[in-house]
This record gives sequence, structure tokens and C-alpha cells, in this order.
Amino acid sequence: MFRKILIANRGEIALRVVRAARELGVQSVVVYSQADENSLPVLLADEAVCIGPPPAANSYLNVRNILAAALVTGAEAIHPGYGFLAENAEFAAKCEEHNLVFIGPRPDNIARIGDKSSARALAQEAGVPVTPGSSALKSLDEAKAFAERIGFPLILKASAGGGGRGMRVVQSHADLERQFFNAQEEARAAFGNPELYVEKYIEEPKHIEVQVFGDGKGEVVQLFERDCSIQRRYQKLLEEGPSLLEDDLRTRIAEAAVKLAKHISYRGAGTCEFLVDKDGNFYFSEMNTRIQVEHPVTEMITGTDLVQEQIKVAAGEPLSWRQEDLVVSGHAIEVRINAEDPEHDFRPTAGTITDVHWPGGPGVRVDSHVYAGYRIPPNYDSLLAKIIAWAPTREEAIRRMERSLRETVIEGVKTTIPFHLRVLDNAFFRRGQVYTNFIARRMSS
Amino acid sequence: MQTRELKRLLDVLKDTDVSEMTLETGEYKLTVKRGSVATVAHVPAVQYAVPAAAAPAATEAAAPQQAPQAATPAARERLVDVVAPIVGTFYAAPSPDAPPFVRVGERVKPGTVLCIIEAMKLMNEIEAETAGVIKEVLVDNGQPVEYGQVLFRIEPD
Repeated sequence: MFRKILIANRGEIALRVVRAARELGVQSVVVYSQADENSLPVLLADEAVCIGPPPAANSYLNVRNILAAALVTGAEAIHPGYGFLAENAEFAAKCEEHNLVFIGPRPDNIARIGDKSSARALAQEAGVPVTPGSSALKSLDEAKAFAERIGFPLILKASAGGGGRGMRVVQSHADLERQFFNAQEEARAAFGNPELYVEKYIEEPKHIEVQVFGDGKGEVVQLFERDCSIQRRYQKLLEEGPSLLEDDLRTRIAEAAVKLAKHISYRGAGTCEFLVDKDGNFYFSEMNTRIQVEHPVTEMITGTDLVQEQIKVAAGEPLSWRQEDLVVSGHAIEVRINAEDPEHDFRPTAGTITDVHWPGGPGVRVDSHVYAGYRIPPNYDSLLAKIIAWAPTREEAIRRMERSLRETVIEGVKTTIPFHLRVLDNAFFRRGQVYTNFIARRMSS
Repeated sequence: MQTRELKRLLDVLKDTDVSEMTLETGEYKLTVKRGSVATVAHVPAVQYAVPAAAAPAATEAAAPQQAPQAATPAARERLVDVVAPIVGTFYAAPSPDAPPFVRVGERVKPGTVLCIIEAMKLMNEIEAETAGVIKEVLVDNGQPVEYGQVLFRIEPD
């Protein structure tokens, strides 16, 4: 096991890793920007090193300072958390060059499965279904020919894209002609690259993701799925597990995820995301090669510690579980408490938290870096806390989450708590009729 | 004066009720005030130990933190902080056998090399941007430094 690791992240996930390391008897070094000098992970870590000014580009993305901090403090490994450098193959390779263990997949894993088109190709090689789609389109005629074969609706996407930009849903040939050039221009403006491809558009899908864990030597287990369909502009707000899909379908999706991870001899924690349509067809969409924000859902229903497992596997230990050791117990829901005003289009609300009271009692977990007097820096994302409620059944977990949110007090800024209470109270949500358009369709008042 | 001599001196003083002393030799003048030395502007959240092996044998090493020519708070306001622009290991001298780039009391001008910060096996020379006199050296030779940490204080001309 490592003696000391460095954590190249901030906020709740930095604290999560500090806690995991401490329980393993591993010392932690947290690197931080000047904006986070008084943050909880900095105060609770064994050591802390300032690596730059508030903008992330000069601090949390400053590879040279992060590596120098690891070397001068004698850390043996770097945990990247999520976001920032977590899925940066070049950073992972640089760590290895300096004899630091990157706590995550090997650089080649990240590069191959992190790139969208190469990930699709790998999935196809592994026999995992992907949404029918074209390669890069050279012309409108190519797009039309594809539409003839697959049928509408289709979605145009930018090859260089992400975050919804350059994307257009098209319902007909006339629509395609009109949208093709708009999407090209949008892609050129946003990414400097007008290249488009087109995919079958899955209407009202569920976003189902499978947690996998590999030892990097060919062994891969799956820790079941999470349903993350409640999203706003591709940002997840509430996640739960297990999903309400039929057991046979759940098993087939999980097996597909394992097949893909085994195909690349995946190392560490990863998530395979799928879109599932109303007829029970499922399509691989992407793989995230890191620990995810919503990992506690899986930890609560499987009784595992995924962050500790990441550290152990990176240190060369074998996986703690065989597939048959892993079973789902009960149901867990996680909500993201963001400093955003749900009444005003989720506008971020910076400021100082004047008072905080977290919920407690059975089956409730809070992962947060926030305390009374904490000033939210304007430089980073707005996540303040994750509240996770576990109970033997989904109905009980919903009631427990409602109870927990009503106990929670966060003063000084607006949060997403009122929004989550409305979701939990929504009849469609209660029946499990939740698709990725849930917020647009069921929550717009 | 060697760092260890200075340390011994300070250790001896610790057990006395002397609150201020001045020592003057042909080479230097040292004033030590105890008890109410103002804290530095930027203290790393956790002070990590100096990895002894990493330090090139401290020559005339930089004076440690406890022994500034203790500027009074009012005087200190006029001083210009030189801060570390990168994370790395601080070296006061260009090589283990060489004298330090600068000592307390020395005059510097923009472009004068003050120290080296080693990061990722690259030696980065840190230069003065202000003309003036070095009043304080706040870091020991071989000590890790973090971004924004104050290394020197210069009294500008």
C-alpha cells in the first residue's frame, strides 16, 4: 500500500478521497488554489500545497505544479478525483514518467475509450450495441442517404462536440436540409471544426449507467447500474440505483459493460453509459474513465467503498470482490445540492454559507465540503453537497430523502433543495416513469 | 554564520528571558527579537518537513524564519514580497558549494537572481523585479515551497 498520495482536486471529492485514504492508513496531500485556502479538504488533509491562483487553468489544471507538489512531498500516487485532469491521458502518462502512480486507468485506456468515435468502434468490436450512426459526413447528400437507411428521427452531432452544442434533432428530409448547415456553422463557431455525424435519435430514453471495476489484468466485475435520467442540459441532478428495468434487461446491460471493459483490459473504476429505449433496446453511448459524482449510490446498495478500492487496485492489490460476492441490497437515491436558484433557471448563486445543518438518522449519508462561514468561490462548479438516502425499498428511500431534505438547512445562498422536493413528490417520478426529458416535460411549471 | 550555529543561538535564547539582542561582527550584524515577531503574510496550511537528503549542503544558507532583522510592522508595510511563482524546491545557491545568490542586507535590482526553484528536475531562476535591499529571507535552502509562498522581503529604494 502507498504511504502517501496526492489529491489533485477540490471540494467534496477531494474530501471523499482524504477520508478514504485516512481509513486505509495512507497520508494525503491536497493541492489547492488560492481560492480554496480555507476549504475543508485543505484543512483536513495531512498536508496541503498551494499550486496556483484561483482560475483552474492555472491551478487545478497546472500539471507542472501538481507534479512538483507530488515530488516535493514524497507522494507515491495521484488521485485525480473527477473533472479537471481525471480523464486526461497525457496527465496520466506524465505521472508515470515521474514514477508516480495515476490512480485510474492506464493512459492508453483513457485515450482509447475517452475518445467518442474510438469508443464506439471498441464497443462494436466487443459486440456491444451502439446507436446506429454514420461516420463523418462529407456532404448533405451523405446525411440524406443515411436517413433513407435508418429513418427519422435523427440527431446531428459535431465530431468535436460536447455539451449539446452543434446538436440538432431532425424529423424529416426538409428538416435535415435546413438543420444541416446550421449545425455545421454552430460546430465551426463552437469548436473550430464544422465536421458532423448523424445518429439515430432515441426518443424518451432512460440514462442507465453500469459501474465497472477492473484490475488491469483482464479481470472485471460490475457493481450494477444507476438510473441518471433526471438531467438538466446533460447535467445530472438526481441519481438512483438499482434501476426499475426488468431483471433480464439489467443483466444484459451489465454484461455488455463487462464485455467492453474486458475488451480493453480496463484498470480501476469506470462507468459505461447506455441509452435504453421504451422497447428495451439499449445502446452504449460513452464510458467515463474515473470515479463519478454519483458513486455513493452504488456504494450504498452494494456495501462497498469504491474510492478505497481505487487506491488499493492502483497499489497493485487484487480486486476485493469476485462477481458472485456482489449483490444489491435495498435502494439508494442521491441528490446534488447545488448553489443554484431553481426558480431562476438554475442560476448560480455565489456567496457565503452563513449556517448549515445536515440531516442525520438511519440510512442517510452526506458528502460535503461545506461548513458555516464557508465562502463559495466563483471559480468552480456549484456543487455544495450530495445527500444520499438508502432504504430497503424505493418507496422508503424516497420518503427518507424527503425527510432528509426537510431537515437540511443551508442559509446564505439559494440551493436546489426545493427543486428536489418537487421531483420526489412528482407522480411520474414516484411511478418510475422517468426519461431524460423528465425535467423539460414534467417539471416545467 | 552557519544555519546550525544560528539555530543553536536561538535555542539558547529560548531558555532565557532575553527579548532582544544584537550581535555584530566584521561580516554581519544580527538582531533577534523574541516573543512578538509578526507572522508572515502567507503561511502554508501545513508546514512540511525539509527532506534533509534533498538539500544541497547548506552553505551560507538563508537565515531561517525566526531570525529576521526583525522589521517592525510599520516598517514591514513598505517591504515588497517576493513570492514563489511555481511549486518546487527552493535553493539559495546555484550549487551546493557556491555562496547564496543573495544575503540579507544585499542590494538587488530588477533581474538579479535571488534563488532557484527546482520543479520537475528543471532549475527555474527567480529574479528580483524591484530594486532595493533584501531585508528578509524566509525559506531554508532545500525547503519545498508552494505557489504564492513569500520567499524574500525587499525594502524598495
